[in-house]
Amino acid sequence: MDLDRSGLVQALRQADPALSRFDPLPRIIAFDDFDRGFCGWTQLVGNYEHSLDSMLPGYAQHSQAMLSTLSTWDFGSHGSFDGSYALKVASKPRVGAQNVAIKRLTFRKRGPIRLEFYFTFKPEANELRLLETDVRSIGFLYDLQSGDSDADGLRVMPHIRFLNAHDGQHMQTWQFKRRTTEVKPIGTENKTVTHYHLAPQDWEDLPGGHQKLCYNEIPTKVNWHYVRFDYDLETMRATHFQCNDRVFDLAGFDSIKIPAMRNLWCMLNLAFFVETDTDKRAFLYVDSVCLSGDF
Amino acid sequence: MIRESQTAVIARNERWSGQAATEPYEAGWASEAVIFIRALADAQGAGGTARVEISPDGMRWVPEGATFPLPVSKDEVTFARVAHFGNWLRVSSELPDGAALTVLVTFHLKA
Repeated sequence: MDLDRSGLVQALRQADPALSRFDPLPRIIAFDDFDRGFCGWTQLVGNYEHSLDSMLPGYAQHSQAMLSTLSTWDFGSHGSFDGSYALKVASKPRVGAQNVAIKRLTFRKRGPIRLEFYFTFKPEANELRLLETDVRSIGFLYDLQSGDSDADGLRVMPHIRFLNAHDGQHMQTWQFKRRTTEVKPIGTENKTVTHYHLAPQDWEDLPGGHQKLCYNEIPTKVNWHYVRFDYDLETMRATHFQCNDRVFDLAGFDSIKIPAMRNLWCMLNLAFFVETDTDKRAFLYVDSVCLSGDF
Repeated sequence: MIRESQTAVIARNERWSGQAATEPYEAGWASEAVIFIRALADAQGAGGTARVEISPDGMRWVPEGATFPLPVSKDEVTFARVAHFGNWLRVSSELPDGAALTVLVTFHLKA
């Protein structure tokens, strides 16, 4: 067998059970298996200056992600995709409450990147009912900014969510967002601003984005789902979005775009979020995450 | 392998009065925890008591046994050390009528 370098790399990755379920680009930027700890995933804290009271309420509600064995009251620990632990993001038990986990990086080349991860979601199982419409949404986002020497000084924030339910209606639709709230200064030093990009308004349906995911038949059993999202940092455009067996048309997709900010050059943040549709905690679980790039 | 360690901010700038409790936190990977409560401002009224609670499922809570005073003056910190807590952990508090406290609660967990 005659293998070139890329063929050899691909063969080695496919022989590795942990990586074989991913299709990474040549360079793996991060491979986060939560059996090794939090892997740099932390809570998204809102901006503030002088007082924590200046933090927008949408951010003030956020709390720390957990390492979870998907512990259930009725059959014990579910376990993660291939080990004991998954990253858990939990909302508070108040309709519309959100929580976000974030990983903060920078990029060294403006080119194609690929985010792949496995996820599942459930509400807190405090009733003996299916509860399939208690989680409002789960989703992910990038928070990106061009380099300090680039001509196109932009901050770009691609957002995608799975709107599972809204006001009790089972929606099961992928959505995107191209607008954030007004960017407002915080404090008195003219150094910090804030905006709420996860505000409930301005989500738009992804064309053809209705998808029925496996939810299972009681409120504690879960099944893991695969997502792949390709993005080009050079053109700042999404090029591929897939969940399980479905690949979605991105012709109508767009991102939040706002002027570059003074301290965020080459930023490459990625985040996962969850939102509840009832006064019940909503849980997003992720295991694992592979971020790769073509460089 | 180095021991896993994590600082988790469980409640930030939350105003407590009467009965209060932090959100459930899963930390089955950790064998020990130190729980700190910091007063972000001077408390209103008399001080109160915090107690550590554990749970079989994150929904039904029982006292772990550790109790400690809530801080009273701005930036005062109180704490408790716990081990053998299983998976679920939270801290609850009780303040007398008319009392209130704004807190920062952190769990310091170690495998």
